[in-house]
Amino acid sequence: MKKKKEIKVLLVDDEVDFVDTLAQRLKMRELLVDTVYDGEQALSFIKKTEPDVIVLDLKMPGLHGIEVLREIKTSSPQIQVIILTGHGAERDEEEARRLGGFDFLRKPADIDLLVAKIKEAFMEKVERAMTAIAFAEEGAFDTAQKIIRKEE
Amino acid sequence: MGHEEEEAIRIAHLKFIGKVLSVFTHELNNHLAIIKESAGLIEDTLRLQKSSGKYDIEESLKIIRSIENQIGKTAWICKKLNGFGHRMDRALSTFNVNESLEELLVLLNRVANQKKVSFEKDFQEDIPPVCSDPAGLQLIVFCSIDRLLKSLDKDSSLIFKTKYSGDSIRISIIPKGDFIESGEREICPEDISQYVIEQLDGSIIKNAEDKGITITLPVKTAIGTTT
Repeated sequence: MKKKKEIKVLLVDDEVDFVDTLAQRLKMRELLVDTVYDGEQALSFIKKTEPDVIVLDLKMPGLHGIEVLREIKTSSPQIQVIILTGHGAERDEEEARRLGGFDFLRKPADIDLLVAKIKEAFMEKVERAMTAIAFAEEGAFDTAQKIIRKEE
Repeated sequence: MGHEEEEAIRIAHLKFIGKVLSVFTHELNNHLAIIKESAGLIEDTLRLQKSSGKYDIEESLKIIRSIENQIGKTAWICKKLNGFGHRMDRALSTFNVNESLEELLVLLNRVANQKKVSFEKDFQEDIPPVCSDPAGLQLIVFCSIDRLLKSLDKDSSLIFKTKYSGDSIRISIIPKGDFIESGEREICPEDISQYVIEQLDGSIIKNAEDKGITITLPVKTAIGTTT
């Protein structure tokens, strides 16, 4: 029987107790979860391992979440990013969506909603990758890249 | 002091209160999010144990203790905000400068953390209470912190010292670290602090060498008298 693909999630939040507890709950829901506690750590992490979905806080020490999102979408646009923040100003939400963030949730979020969003984000990643591969096989590399970067 | 200065102080005070409230509500929301996830984790654990028929009460007790701990932290910061709110009850009151500073530092700690700047305290413990305007003093200290945080690079610190010298209390705010050009707008213009400190019969001096700030407040035990 073909093994079901496990979704790899990276949680990025400076609230250690929050992120560790949320990680335990997501693991109980059969997600593969890693945690880091600031934006710099997140960017280093994705250079070594590619998560499918990143759940990202905005207000963190050092790099702001919006800057982290911008970096991720430049270096690894295929990774889907869900913003999960307790401090969601409307302009942050607009900017996050403009930069290609998958969704914008506010803390405290319902666990079932978060899991559903993670699964949707993963499906989006898979569908985009498959479409991009199809275009690449036809030699349309520019279109394939645009699909991954959500520019089509 | 003219009408314009009074209006400028009022605006600075409102911005100050707004900043403290936005930091506080962010902090509170984070505490609530942790409590919600912890309660959810107990539910998840119990459901899992129910389906497996194996109960491990220790695991749930551990999470319950962490919730209690989180509630304790939340109550503590609420107490600080409550104290802050009451600083404005009367124009003049007798208060301890250390306690008033401590309150402000707790409420602004998150702002410093986000800039990767740490607050360090070096308070003289046996300073006498003063009769002055605690809200005015907090506004001056807030304006100084805001200005320094906007010009300090990450991994810096701000050291807060208090010293009693017979007829006055000196509050020194000493920056340690590199300075940067941030271009961020200050919440209150420098002359606001000057207007407010004059009302308190004190002084504020900017140290050209280390860019630190020294605020001196007379020790009045009752209105108009000094020790």
